[in-house]
Amino acid sequence: MSDQTFFKGLMDESLICAYCGYCRTVCPTYVEVGWESCSPRGRIQLIRLLLAGTPLSAGQMTRLYQCTLCGHCAQVCSTRIDLRQFWLEARAQTVSRELSPQGLATARDNVARTGNVYGYQNDERAGWVEYMDDAPADLYQRDQAEVVYFVGCSSSFSPRAQRIAESFVRVLDAAQVSFTILGEGEVCCGFPLLAAGMHDQAQTLIEHNLERVRMTGARTVVFTCPACRMMWLEEYARHLPGIRLLHATELLAELMAARPLPLKDVNRVVTYHDPCDLARNGGVYDAPRQVLAAIPGLQFVEVHERRERGLCCGGGGDLEMVDPALAQRVAQRTASKLAATGAQVIATACPQCVRTLARGTEQAVPGVEVKDLVELLAEALDI
Amino acid sequence: MPATFPDIPVNRITDDPIERKLYSRDLAPVPAILVKPFFRTLPDAVIRPGNAEQVAEVVRQAARQRVPVTPRAAASTSYYNTVPVRGGWVLDVNDLRGGIELDAARQTVRTLPATTWFELDDALQQKGFAVKSYPSSAVSATIGGWVSMQGHGLGSLKYGGVGEQLVSLQVALPDGELRTVTRESDPPLDWFVAAEGTLGVITGVELTVRPRPAAESHHLFAFDDLNALGQSVAWLSRAEPRPFTIFFADSGYLRLLARGGFHIPLDLPPSHFPISEKGLLLASFQGETSEVNRGKDVLTRLPGQELPSDLALEEWNLRLYHLRTKRAGPSLLAAELWLPLDKLGHYLQAVKALAGRSHLLIGTYGLAVAPDMALVMSLYPTDERHTVKYLAAIGFTKWLHDLSARCGGRPYGVGLWNSAYLPRLFSPAQLDELKKRKARLDPTGIMNPGKLYRASFPLWPVTFSLGAAVLGAGHVMLGRERP
Ligand SMILES: Cc1cc2nc3c(=O)[nH]c(=O)nc-3n(C[C@H](O)[C@H](O)[C@H](O)COP(=O)(O)OP(=O)(O)OC[C@H]3O[C@@H](n4cnc5c(N)ncnc54)[C@H](O)[C@@H]3O)c2cc1C
Ligand code: SF4
Ligand code: SF4
Repeated sequence: MSDQTFFKGLMDESLICAYCGYCRTVCPTYVEVGWESCSPRGRIQLIRLLLAGTPLSAGQMTRLYQCTLCGHCAQVCSTRIDLRQFWLEARAQTVSRELSPQGLATARDNVARTGNVYGYQNDERAGWVEYMDDAPADLYQRDQAEVVYFVGCSSSFSPRAQRIAESFVRVLDAAQVSFTILGEGEVCCGFPLLAAGMHDQAQTLIEHNLERVRMTGARTVVFTCPACRMMWLEEYARHLPGIRLLHATELLAELMAARPLPLKDVNRVVTYHDPCDLARNGGVYDAPRQVLAAIPGLQFVEVHERRERGLCCGGGGDLEMVDPALAQRVAQRTASKLAATGAQVIATACPQCVRTLARGTEQAVPGVEVKDLVELLAEALDI
Repeated sequence: MPATFPDIPVNRITDDPIERKLYSRDLAPVPAILVKPFFRTLPDAVIRPGNAEQVAEVVRQAARQRVPVTPRAAASTSYYNTVPVRGGWVLDVNDLRGGIELDAARQTVRTLPATTWFELDDALQQKGFAVKSYPSSAVSATIGGWVSMQGHGLGSLKYGGVGEQLVSLQVALPDGELRTVTRESDPPLDWFVAAEGTLGVITGVELTVRPRPAAESHHLFAFDDLNALGQSVAWLSRAEPRPFTIFFADSGYLRLLARGGFHIPLDLPPSHFPISEKGLLLASFQGETSEVNRGKDVLTRLPGQELPSDLALEEWNLRLYHLRTKRAGPSLLAAELWLPLDKLGHYLQAVKALAGRSHLLIGTYGLAVAPDMALVMSLYPTDERHTVKYLAAIGFTKWLHDLSARCGGRPYGVGLWNSAYLPRLFSPAQLDELKKRKARLDPTGIMNPGKLYRASFPLWPVTFSLGAAVLGAGHVMLGRERP
């Protein structure tokens, strides 16, 4: 199917939905929950009922948030409904009717108070750099640089994901890239708020980050988080003409094609998990595979469900804030399928995927490691 | 409720009103005025068994308590086949999914019934095999659902209906027994083919498969004359080597797509009226390379104009996406038919004449599913938000069915709504035989009651004919295309 988008608004699209059910079995949360109300077409019906004035409770509307925004439903939809857009607008409708889950209000308040969803002090955002034993004196915070590495909340604050940020800055150094991070000048990109249906609240964040990036004079902004990249492409890009917004794997594939890095053998069997926001929703399939292919010794095995048909880790769409147990079930199923390739390492390119899949493997397939691609690359560079 | 089923976890049973509401519809929404006074479509509960034993338990209890049970898989049907009409329990079988076991030596596969055709084929392809046929709803349609319906689609032209591919079925019979049925057993498996969930619940399927085709090739032809299109489909359906499938469509179908915003492979004039005679034929060959090559030779004798191969491939890749036409709606109604292939051209011309006379947009497409038979859909856009207009459009379906009957056609599938056409669907002897099977296997009549065997009011022949005639005439006025 083409990428053409037809979106005509919630009511029209909910009428166009044919109720054919193509979207059911690909939906990672429907497969776990099993009730029609948790299938994409069921959620569409709920929204239709809501728009028609049926009194629905916040509990009933939780179904709308038992969705990772993985985009798989949109990819197979027989009437080409842009379901990602649909879910975002539908969530905005629940917010305006005060029917959204409580956990999201907490996240919104955290962002408003501190600039990050976790509610940590934002001046601790670059805390991970201080823990690096070989961090440069400027702690990677430079006034001017060619590239801004936008670290994102997850890699800034989550202990597991901080290792991704740490690996990436080392790799950038090894590739002699002139870059900076924004430190406490960075705030949440706004995606968790957009996903929660709180588009308006994301505006201040957008303006703040835009200003900080402009001050550096950078021509490229790079992300290890695919959701941040998507957010920047959709909400920031029009304010940054001429500036490239790249995922880490895109930048690395480009750099490595121009000048190979001195990589050592990584003698392990590795599979790759396509993060939904990088691959199906973001269109980046080849760059991560090019990076993996450049690592000597590495034995790469593809999982059958890949690229447009890639599996979901369960960590997207704010699901973890609304129903962590469901996110966990999705993660376990996906981890098991990835491990069934015989891989010792599940490589991916997203801090959220790393976090959720690491927990999923722990419970479903202990012994299988989960690594971000930049971590594997750092390992191959022996840095 | 949970007390009734000590062996079924409570989280597999619900009586939540909103949930039940979602289980009281299928593909085609029907206005409350046609439903509420006559049928109880809201189930009392929905149960999602996790295995065959739990299915059997539900059916056994239903028979004991005389509660109607409506099996429901993907619910990709549109005649209320999966919607209860007398309340009771909806049995959502979707958790009986997967369990795919290939026997490569025998070229057979076992699967749970709610595996979709897409999933089964995908799993087989990885092991060097493929399903022999699948419906054009393969992404959602389940194995058990298609077996329970008419079972013809892509590949049927070459390999026959799904019934011919079955080796055995495991069925939960209304007495609660789990039985494996074969061609030789009593009851035989044929009884469950096209039984629409009225004789028991299929809990396992074994069917024959084919080696993954070594080659395939797709060819798209444009026609300027619907008779020639019809004759070509009929001729090619009998040709050797037999195509895997033949798809055809008229200009109304292409117009619906174009109106929905999609690219179409033919240039059409800006206005739909007078209606263009143009049409499309997609022929697909699959099999050994030599067979596919011979197929290409056969095509040199087709009268249409062959279009570039990338367009043919695109059309093939969209073979499961005919519902894109719904973007011309937002609502779309259809008459779905069996049609003798030698009358296809005649039918296409008759639809064109009716649409032209009444200034209506009607699109027809279909598949050759046997050397002498096509599965045909005639679709027309409408808008369910305008109840009167929509009711009229529903009535118009009968006009198309009547038109097809004059060409030897009959409705495809029964459920509730097509029970109005029972005399066209079965001879009295056939209907009698079906009723005997029902009386023997389901004496308490709990399995999907109200479907298949007899028409309930207002679907009695007289009331239905009268109502549909009036409503259909309404569509001719209200559904007119603006110039
Ligand atoms: C886009 C589109 C294209 C289509 N193309 C075709 C086509 O090419 N050919 C075709 O034949 N149909 C086609 N259909 C109609 C429909 O998809 C098929 O009939 C399909 O096989 C139904 O499968 P399902 O899983 O949706 O069954 P459901 O709709 O859930 O059920 C169908 C009937 O079977 C019963 N049933 C379901 N599962 C079981 C079970 N396990 N045991 C007992 N009874 C059961 C139900 O009670 C019901 O009566 C199409 C539909 C759409 C939307
Ligand atoms: S986006 Fe993913 S999780 Fe959400 S409804 Fe679609 S398929 Fe399900
Ligand atoms: S695939 Fe699209 S049209 Fe079909 S039920 Fe799902 S959302 Fe509706």
